Amino acid sequence: MKKTIYLVFALIIMLPFSAFAVDGTKLLQEIDRNLSPESYESYRKLINIEPDGKKKEFTLFTVKKGLDKVASVFLAPASEKGRSTLRLGDNMWLHIPNVGKPIRITSLQSVVGGVFNNADILQLDYAAEYDVLAVKEEGGEYLLLLKAKSKSVAYDQLKIRADKAKRLPAKIECLTETGMLIKTLYFKNVKDFGGGIVRPAVIETDSPLYKGYKSVMIMVQIKKRMLKDEVFSLTFMPNLESLR
Amino acid sequence: MKRFGLIFLALLVSAMPSATKAEENYTFDLSEIEKKPYHFSGYIEAKPVLYGLNSNSAFYQLRFFDDPNRQALPEANGRVRLEGSYEKSIFRVFARLNTDLQYNDYAHGSEQTTFYEAHASAKPMPAVTIDVGKKTLKWGKGYAWNPVAFADRPKDPDDPEQAMEGYIVATADLIRSFDGPLTIVSFSPVLFPVYDHINSNFGQNNKLNTAGRLYFLFYDTDIDVMFMTGGSRPDRYGFDFSRNITTNLEIHGEYAWIQNTQKTVLDATGAAKAVEGQAHTFLIGLRYLTSFDLTAITEFYHNSAGFDRDDMQNFYSLVSRSFDAYQTTGDQTGLERAAQLADSGYARPNAMRNYLYIRLSQKEPFDILYFTPALTCMINTDDSSANVMPEFLYTGVTNLELRFRAGVMIGGQNTEFGEKQNDYRIELRAGYYF
Repeated sequence: MKKTIYLVFALIIMLPFSAFAVDGTKLLQEIDRNLSPESYESYRKLINIEPDGKKKEFTLFTVKKGLDKVASVFLAPASEKGRSTLRLGDNMWLHIPNVGKPIRITSLQSVVGGVFNNADILQLDYAAEYDVLAVKEEGGEYLLLLKAKSKSVAYDQLKIRADKAKRLPAKIECLTETGMLIKTLYFKNVKDFGGGIVRPAVIETDSPLYKGYKSVMIMVQIKKRMLKDEVFSLTFMPNLESLR
Repeated sequence: MKRFGLIFLALLVSAMPSATKAEENYTFDLSEIEKKPYHFSGYIEAKPVLYGLNSNSAFYQLRFFDDPNRQALPEANGRVRLEGSYEKSIFRVFARLNTDLQYNDYAHGSEQTTFYEAHASAKPMPAVTIDVGKKTLKWGKGYAWNPVAFADRPKDPDDPEQAMEGYIVATADLIRSFDGPLTIVSFSPVLFPVYDHINSNFGQNNKLNTAGRLYFLFYDTDIDVMFMTGGSRPDRYGFDFSRNITTNLEIHGEYAWIQNTQKTVLDATGAAKAVEGQAHTFLIGLRYLTSFDLTAITEFYHNSAGFDRDDMQNFYSLVSRSFDAYQTTGDQTGLERAAQLADSGYARPNAMRNYLYIRLSQKEPFDILYFTPALTCMINTDDSSANVMPEFLYTGVTNLELRFRAGVMIGGQNTEFGEKQNDYRIELRAGYYF
């Protein structure tokens, strides 16, 4: 009964997206590739901003390979330096140097606090985690409605508003199975990072669950890099910084 | 009226921060990501502690036998931890130096400086790392206990996230990746020397021990199989696992089998007897995250080589008789013997057989960012005594960590937590990373 209600609800949401003018899956894959190469290294800064303007900043070095392997290590602040996170498909681990062994974490937790959770920080390709339910064109934008391929994905549905010409997201709404808004991501400041990578340098996010709080992710550097699979393992986690 | 309304609307719209205008100009200093061959960092901590003493308990009488009516013991603790590394080509050296300072008006001041880690590494390729020197290996999946951490010092179950001192070893990590359900395999062989000036407190001297760990990621499950042999300690074998059942529920476990363990037990008269046998030690645990960000960790730990209730009662009786003898005659012989027995195992954390660990921590309640209250209970299920520890952690200031914590011992006479030296403890820990 519950499933039927969700299905009807999803169909109601899909109604405005009924016009399939483009291949949604192909479009989503294009958006993924425009955001980043399939395998890359990057430097990012995360900033959590509290309602009173107080900020907390984190700097991360991240490597990704293929569809389902991504790892990050914190470079700053000093209290977080050396902490590393690893994602292999649905599996996520956190390694804290003092504590030692990597512990399993979940996508909805946040290793940095604030509005970004682990799934946002260890982001895989959207096409790897979501099916495109519908696409519609609206002025200079595409509107894509995505549904998670499995229950283990952090957000059940995504609504992506993407620039039609650049094929880059401008805004993504992350929703629960019942359509409740969890957070909104705003993609800003499109920048040429070299190597053919032109993408938003800033992702801001806010959430009705964290009223007044905002988190910002700044992409500082991103470039193609192919690494060995062995790098994406629990055993290698303490050594991630050696890849820099 | 309509015109006035339009003007008001125009003013309102112009006053609203548009997305473009509100967009902040985020800056990034590229020197922050510049990689240097060396790295230096540190941690400094101040930790005042107040112990509320239980002068009727066995461990009070053993430690404070010459001061029988003390009610409280304030203590000042400090810690400085410095670490540095240098990298060149495929080589890296790393050291972590820890200094602990302690002062109370009973034992007065003490200072202990130790290299927690100091090792050299070579990484000829990503799949191969070789380390030689002092290092913590940190085997196991348990949060409060790690029965399979054969080549590490036991961690403090009351504060399991503390940095630990390693042992001098030669070890390597060899990693291999596959497609299919078996995703990763890694093997970590370890040479563990025990000689006069190398790891001499580990066990029997003049032995070169070997150990190893084989890790698999198989069907999304972490599995380790490990062993240690060589003669310094009885041979031991074990395995552990960890797996997410759902995205917010993780299950983990460890099992260790140890041949020929020895312990000293007492009879009702206090006569000591050495007992030998095999030991089976295991833990099973869960970690669960609720939709409202409450993390629950629960673990059950069993150690067949631990002391049973009779063993502990006989030890407490020995302490009590020795304390009475000291008070009437001034003879410390019995207390000295009890102190030796305490050092040999009776005073170690969780010296009995069955324990339940429960920790509940709520992330950022009432929208207070970086604030995490938690409640931890360590329950001895053999004698139903417990240590209950509420705590409040705040990490809102960059690099500063503030933790207020209390511990209340619950248990009657002849129970583990009822016979601890203190009834309660209150501590504030302020730690700064640089």
